[in-house]
Amino acid sequence: MERIDFDRLKTGEVNLGTSIMAVQFKDGVVIGADSRTTTGSYIANRVTDKLTHVHDRIYCCRSGSAADTQAVADIVHRFLQSEAQEREETPTVHIAASVFQKICYGNKDALSAGIIVAGWDKDVGPSVYNIPLGGGLFRQPWAIGGSGSTYVYGYCDATFKDGWGRDETVEFVKNTLALAMSRDGSSGGVIRMCVITEDSVQRLFVPGNELPRFWEGQEVLGAASKKIGSDVEVVPMAVEV
Amino acid sequence: MNSSSIYRPAGFDFSNEIRNNFLHEKGLPLPGATSTGTTIVGCLFKDGIVLGADTRATEGPIVADKNCEKIHYITESIRCCGAGTAADTEFTTALISSNMEMHALQTGRKPRVVTAMTMLKQMLHRYQGHIGAALVLGGVDITGPQLFTIHPHGSTDKLPYVTMGSGSLAAMAMFESSWKPNMEREEALTLVKAAIAAGIFNDLGSGSNVDACIITATGTEMLRNVEMPNQRVQKERDYKFRRGTTAWRKEDIRQLIVQEHTKPVGGDEMDTS
Amino acid sequence: MPGSMVAMTQPVQQSFNPYTENGGTILAIAGSDFSVIAGDTRQSEGYSIQTRYAPKVFRLTDKAVLAVNGFAADGNMFVKKVKQRLEWYRHAHAKDMPIRAIARLIQTMLYARRFFPYYVYNILGGIEEDGTGAVYSFDPVGSYERETCRAAGAAQSLVQPFLDNQIYFKNQTPAAGTQFPQHLPLTSVLPLVIDSFTSATERHIEVGDGLEIYVVVASGSTSLQGLQNLRGVQEVTGTTDGERVFVIRRELKKD
Repeated sequence: MERIDFDRLKTGEVNLGTSIMAVQFKDGVVIGADSRTTTGSYIANRVTDKLTHVHDRIYCCRSGSAADTQAVADIVHRFLQSEAQEREETPTVHIAASVFQKICYGNKDALSAGIIVAGWDKDVGPSVYNIPLGGGLFRQPWAIGGSGSTYVYGYCDATFKDGWGRDETVEFVKNTLALAMSRDGSSGGVIRMCVITEDSVQRLFVPGNELPRFWEGQEVLGAASKKIGSDVEVVPMAVEV
Repeated sequence: MNSSSIYRPAGFDFSNEIRNNFLHEKGLPLPGATSTGTTIVGCLFKDGIVLGADTRATEGPIVADKNCEKIHYITESIRCCGAGTAADTEFTTALISSNMEMHALQTGRKPRVVTAMTMLKQMLHRYQGHIGAALVLGGVDITGPQLFTIHPHGSTDKLPYVTMGSGSLAAMAMFESSWKPNMEREEALTLVKAAIAAGIFNDLGSGSNVDACIITATGTEMLRNVEMPNQRVQKERDYKFRRGTTAWRKEDIRQLIVQEHTKPVGGDEMDTS
Repeated sequence: MPGSMVAMTQPVQQSFNPYTENGGTILAIAGSDFSVIAGDTRQSEGYSIQTRYAPKVFRLTDKAVLAVNGFAADGNMFVKKVKQRLEWYRHAHAKDMPIRAIARLIQTMLYARRFFPYYVYNILGGIEEDGTGAVYSFDPVGSYERETCRAAGAAQSLVQPFLDNQIYFKNQTPAAGTQFPQHLPLTSVLPLVIDSFTSATERHIEVGDGLEIYVVVASGSTSLQGLQNLRGVQEVTGTTDGERVFVIRRELKKD
C-alpha cells in the first residue's frame, strides 16, 4: 500500500499529503490530483499543480516530499529532452517510468517520493505506471497514490470497468478524487485533471466549490432535529432575573 | 588520508565536524545562528511584482538588528527576499546573484527569473534542508512578471501572491482577504505594506520598518523603509557619564608615530634625478 | 540510513507540559519613603501575542503591590490566593497585613508547592511599618530577600544590569570628595523605570504594548508633589489617611 510514511519526511519539509490518480482508457489516459501542499498544519499552496509535464505526451503525478519529487521530475524532464534529441524519436511512457524508477530505487534512503507516470506512446498506446515509495515499477490499468488514496481503494475496486470512454473515465477520476479529498485532511482545494491522447493534452479544472458531492451527513442530522421539533416544544431556558 | 593536502576542495569545510559532534554530545550547546524571524511577501500586479519585507533580525527572543535589509539583489530586474537563517539567505542569494551575472555574460541575454529559481532550488535540494533559506523570488524578464517561493528543502511554488517566514500567516491573511487580479501599482504597494504591517504587529519575530521593492519592465524601484511605524520615543533622561566615572589602574600613553633618524654612512646620495 | 530507521522504530513519549512561558517583564525600585512597581502588559506564547493588555502588577493593600511574571495562569491564580489570605487577615485582625508579613506569607505559599511550583517570579513592593520603601523579590519556590531594586522576567538580563548601574551606581566612581546617594528621589526613579521599559521593548520581542507603573507613597511623603502633575497618573488608594497608591499608564511599542 502506498501510504505516505510521514516519519520519512524531515521536520519542516514541504509535503504533498496528496490524492493523485491515473486511469487508462481506450484512446489515452486521464490523470488527476488535488491541489494542496502543506507544511505541518499550514497550507503552503492551495492551488498546486501536481500534474507535471515530463514530455509531450508523458506526465507524472507527484506525492510525498515536494522538494524531492520536483527534483526527480526535473531530472527526468531533462533526460527525456536530450533522449528525444539524440534518438530523434519521442520516448515511450515505459522509458520515462523506468528513469523515474531508477532514480527512486537508487536513492530510496534519501527520497520520499510516490510517483505515478502516465501518458500515450505509439508503441503501446495509453499506459499507467505506478512507482511507490521503495522504488518499484508496476504497470496498472489504474493507479491511485498519496495519503488520500487509502480512503478510496474500495471505491475504485467497486467502480472501475474496462473499456470506458473518455468522459466516463474523467467522471471516475473526478469522483474518486473528490471522495479522497473529503476524507483526507492533507488533501483538498481544487481538482486538476489532464486527458492525454495521441492528438492532444487537455487540461481540466474543477473549482473547490464545484466538486462532486456525496453523502455528507446532512439528512441524518436534519431528520433528527425535525422529529424533535414536531413533537417537543422548545422552551427557553429559565433565567433568574 | 594521513597527510593533509594544501589544496582545499570547493564548498563547505567539514573538518571540525567530528570535534563539534563530540562537544555537542558532552553537553555543549550549539551556537545559535541569527535568524531573520521574518515577514516577507511578494505580490503580482498589472505590470510587475512588488516584494516586501520587515526589518527585524532576531537571536532567540533578542532583537539582533532593528533595521536589517532582507530584500537581496539578484540582478537589476530580479530580487529575492530571505527568511530563515540570516547567513544562509545572504550567502545563497549572493552566490546565485554572482552566477546569474556570469550566466548573463556568457549567454549575452538578460537572465530569467526561472533560471535563478532553478539554481536556488537545485542548490537547496543538494544540501537537503541544512541551508535554512526560505525565499521569495520575484522579477520581470522576457516572459513577463514572475513570482516564486523556495523552501529550505528546495521545493518551489509559483503563485500570484506569496508570503514566508514566521509572520507569513498574518501576512497571508491580508492577501487572502484583499488581493485581486490586475491591481494598479499603488494598490499593490498598499496591500504589500499592509501585509508586512500585519506581520510586524502580530508576529513577535517580525518588527520595525517596512521595506518594499517594485519591479516592472521599465525598471526596479527599491523603497527602503517606505513605512516606519515603530520609531522609538524620546528617552526620559540622557545617560552621559561624568568624565572620570570609569575607574582605572594605570595610565600608559604610547607614541604611535615612530621617530626615525637617518644617519648617512658615506658615499654619494642616490641620484634621483 | 540507520539514523532514520531508529527514529521510525523507537517509541516516542508524548507528555503533557502544564507550564508555558508568557513573556513580559516586571521591576520594582524602593525609595526612602516610596516604592515603584512596574510591569509591561503584553502576554505572549511563542511568536504570538495572546493579549496586548494583561496586567501583571496588582494592588494588594494600600501599602503593598505585587508584580507576578512567568506563567500567566499560575500568576493570576497566585495573586487571587494571596488576596484571599489578606482578606481573611483583615477580617480576623481589622487591619491590613504589614508588608514584611505579606512577604513571609508569600514564601510559605510558594514553598507549599515545592514539588509542583507556581511557575512565577514575584516582586512585592510597598511601604514598611517604619515608613520606608521596600522591595521583596522571590524565586518560584519561595526563596526571598529585601532589596532596593529588582527586575524579573523575559528582559531581566537586559534591565537588571542597567538598574545596578543607575540605582546602585555599580561600575561608577563618584567625583572626588562626594558619595552616591543611598536612595534616589521619585523624580529620578520614574524616568529610569520608563527608560528601562522602552529600551527592553526595543531589544526584546516579548516586551511591549503597554506599561503600568504603581507608585506607593508613605503618608506625609514629599514625593507626592512629583506625582501630581504627571501625565496619565491615577490614584487607586483604598482608604483615607495613610499610604497612597497611584498608577501611571503609558503606551509601549506594539511590534
